[in-house]
Amino acid sequence: MADMYVFETTSLLEQLDQILMKTENESSFAEEDINEIFRTMHTIKGSSAMMGLENMSKLAHAIEDMFYIIREDHPVITSMETLYDIIFSASDLLKAEIENLQEDEYTPTDFTEQMNKIEDFAAVLKGAPPASGEAAAPAEAAPAAPAAPAAEPAGAAAPAPAAAPAQPVSASGLTTVKVFFEDDCKMENLRALLVINRISESCAELEYIPEDIENNGDTAQTIIKDGFLVKFRPAHGASTESIMETIRTTANVKNCEVIERGSEAAAGDPSGNVTTVRVHFDDDCKMENLRALLVVNNVRDVCEDVTFEPADIEDNADTSKIIVDEGFVVRFKSDKPQMVLQVIEGTPSVKSYVVEEAPAPAAPAAAPAAAPAPAAAPAAAPAPAAAPEKKAEAPKPAAKKAEAPKPAAESAPAAGAAKGGVKQSLISVNLNKLDVLLDLVGEIVITEAMVTSNPDLKGLRLDNFQKSARQLRKLNSELQDAVMSMRMVPISGAFNKMTRIVRDMKVKLGKDVELIFEGEETEVDKSIIDQLNDPLMHMVRNSMDHGIEENVEDRIAAGKSPKGKITLSAYNASGEVIIVIADDGQGIDPEKVLAKAERNGILTKPASEYSEKEILNMIMLPGFSTNEQVTEYSGRGVGMDVVKKNIEKIGGSVSVDSKFGQGSSFIIKIPLSLSIVDGMEISVGSSIFTIPINSIRQSFKVQPNQLVKDTTGKEMIMVYGECYPLIRLYQLYDLKPNTEDVFDGIVILVETDGKSACIFADELIGEQQVVLKPFPALLGNYNIKQYGMSGCSILGDGSITIIIDVSNIISDF
Amino acid sequence: MAENTTASRSAYTADGVEILFFNIGESSYGIEIKYVQEIINIEQITVVPKIPDYIKGVINIRGKVVPIISVRNRFGMEEIPYDDRTCIIVLQFDDGDQVGIIVDRVQEVLIAKPGDISKAPDSKNVNANRYIKSIIEIEGDIKLLLDCDKLITD
Repeated sequence: MADMYVFETTSLLEQLDQILMKTENESSFAEEDINEIFRTMHTIKGSSAMMGLENMSKLAHAIEDMFYIIREDHPVITSMETLYDIIFSASDLLKAEIENLQEDEYTPTDFTEQMNKIEDFAAVLKGAPPASGEAAAPAEAAPAAPAAPAAEPAGAAAPAPAAAPAQPVSASGLTTVKVFFEDDCKMENLRALLVINRISESCAELEYIPEDIENNGDTAQTIIKDGFLVKFRPAHGASTESIMETIRTTANVKNCEVIERGSEAAAGDPSGNVTTVRVHFDDDCKMENLRALLVVNNVRDVCEDVTFEPADIEDNADTSKIIVDEGFVVRFKSDKPQMVLQVIEGTPSVKSYVVEEAPAPAAPAAAPAAAPAPAAAPAAAPAPAAAPEKKAEAPKPAAKKAEAPKPAAESAPAAGAAKGGVKQSLISVNLNKLDVLLDLVGEIVITEAMVTSNPDLKGLRLDNFQKSARQLRKLNSELQDAVMSMRMVPISGAFNKMTRIVRDMKVKLGKDVELIFEGEETEVDKSIIDQLNDPLMHMVRNSMDHGIEENVEDRIAAGKSPKGKITLSAYNASGEVIIVIADDGQGIDPEKVLAKAERNGILTKPASEYSEKEILNMIMLPGFSTNEQVTEYSGRGVGMDVVKKNIEKIGGSVSVDSKFGQGSSFIIKIPLSLSIVDGMEISVGSSIFTIPINSIRQSFKVQPNQLVKDTTGKEMIMVYGECYPLIRLYQLYDLKPNTEDVFDGIVILVETDGKSACIFADELIGEQQVVLKPFPALLGNYNIKQYGMSGCSILGDGSITIIIDVSNIISDF
Repeated sequence: MAENTTASRSAYTADGVEILFFNIGESSYGIEIKYVQEIINIEQITVVPKIPDYIKGVINIRGKVVPIISVRNRFGMEEIPYDDRTCIIVLQFDDGDQVGIIVDRVQEVLIAKPGDISKAPDSKNVNANRYIKSIIEIEGDIKLLLDCDKLITD
């Protein structure tokens, strides 16, 4: 439950941010945006209240109130900036609170200060002169006034068609609904509040009993016993029916019935909602009383509360005469009277039936016809209202089909069906469950290899087995793909968060910058995206702070558009996702970087020997920051190296590209998925290592003429006219190899990040998919990743292989 | 009878500690049974480069990669070839981490009452003493209870 709440609220808040960003860009609030914000805050308010998070609920309520004023009064908002600041900071507070909520020790934060701000601003809004003359009503009256004129005809129409023309219509013109909640759902009063919250925006007038549900927990008992009474008048654009639908679809609502006061009296039934049908049977069919009983039984199958007249049909055969003369009267209560009528009609020997009293839902069903056209309302209202009345009053006993109630009664189920017809096709699943699934798939991949390459099978000719094994492998890889695809989410979520950061910094730094997305639909594993947020944020901040020029004049002087540009782009390339954060700012000055690096003593060779690329990548070394001044956003010197570390943690890499004066770009490469690696197994002595296939260029036996030694005795291998350093794995890892002779073993040419090297090993074992497992925590303490070991995996025969991270090996050579 | 045994055992454990004793050379050491997940025969250990000597490598226990520590090495004793009595005691810690320790020989499980246990001498000179949690006098013998956390993390 708490999980669901966190998930829901977080996505709502993200949605809110997006709307706000959008409206701020367009610098206008569209009607639907206001409604959307209103609804979002509403939901947050309701669900927070349900979770007992009063502070959040109240804050959300304050924002909701403010937007209520904006929506209803259309005030002239004098300071858009203040408005946005207020909402953004409130949204931030809510987000932070959600984070807090997930901590072990949660203490509610006090939002009073923020709420005061909001209320103050709301008061300013209220004081502002209304934009349209018609809605000139003072804000206090706002809740009822603007909606009332439109709602009046609807309200008038609604009670009119009530099935009892003799009875006066409900004096207030309100529709009364009784709501029951599921047994044992607990906190009925708050659930009732949720109902009220959900329908309040579409109601012009709304009353409910008990009234103090929000503050009085005891009302829950009352609600369980007597139900929760809601009286409402639909607002303009809403219908009684849609409100009913909203109530029904609210969580934990068991049922809700309309209690129109008029119909209540007419039916003589305290609960209303009763349909009375007079049934006639075929002439001379005999035993009418038993046939009537059959009708009753059939009706009982589909609805409850069935009463009938004469009552003693079962025991008294004489009743058949009454039935022949007067017909058989059945009263039943049902949400779907049409269905019941069909049942009656389908019962053998039933000649005809007449609906004498239509159920109450017929009334609200007729109302929407009038409501959407307020202008025509006075004329239109009587028409639908009259229809049920006329038919009810003038029954045609001979008619086999009672068509009368159809138009009215059918519209209700039809609306319901339309709603039900849209199947919910999305479910939210706990990420942990997906992780477990992925782990299992990993195990299956391993086990499959364990079975198919079982040593017991060696030397056997097993055609059928091989065939089945191939089939299994195919299915397994499909399964793997399916699981992977389940975990893939578009990167747009991570990108969208950046809009917010750019917006905030734009204001604070006074730089005019536009943020452009490219390829935001590119999909990445969910767990990677989660790790990507912080690095992205750092880099976007860097670009904003250091990248884009301080003065617009500088930009213009350099022939650039005065408006800065930051581009976030993502695309797929050979099993990796590449994300580029590019800005068209001042770029990185290599000389400045070099000078600073020299000052900080991070240079490992003479300054003149550094290539430009090497210099640029220095900014990602720990403790490096070119900005002399530490700002709020960047320049603490922990920026880029943390970014680099975080990206490497998820198996990715970062590089920098910059043209001084023209801008710079940071290129992040991350694997599509973390866990399953296509690897080449190699052996060194008794150890088995796995090199990821995508970093292998080729493997070969070295010919004597390929081996070169430089002046320091460093070995190089010449391939296609280029020299690559030779890395003897057994030397690097202090192992005992089977062979130390370069010409005897195998050499694998690996490449990553544009750097290449040759790795020397005893022999190639073969290609296999392996599931990357992290090293046990104990080994993690010894920083073995630095030596190019990224994790381990279990092979088909149960032995363990160590997975090599080529980039770390190469960087040492 | 079986019921009787369990009953008496739980009665003991209520005010005593169950300890698994094993041998390194001639000395007997104990570890609290709550850490012990299982005891397995020594098997092929996968060497992991660039880690301290006392970690012999990793093994696969039902799909989990578990690091293996040599107690002899940890105590600064000479390592001897494994024989058919060499065992790996797999320890499981509260955080779910598993670590195997190689011992020469597993002996028995005994229950030490609170009165049997006394604090370890505060000596830091002898290598093995660093890992001693307390001294137990049980059935007339003096045995040493090892501190599992120190054994693997120090």
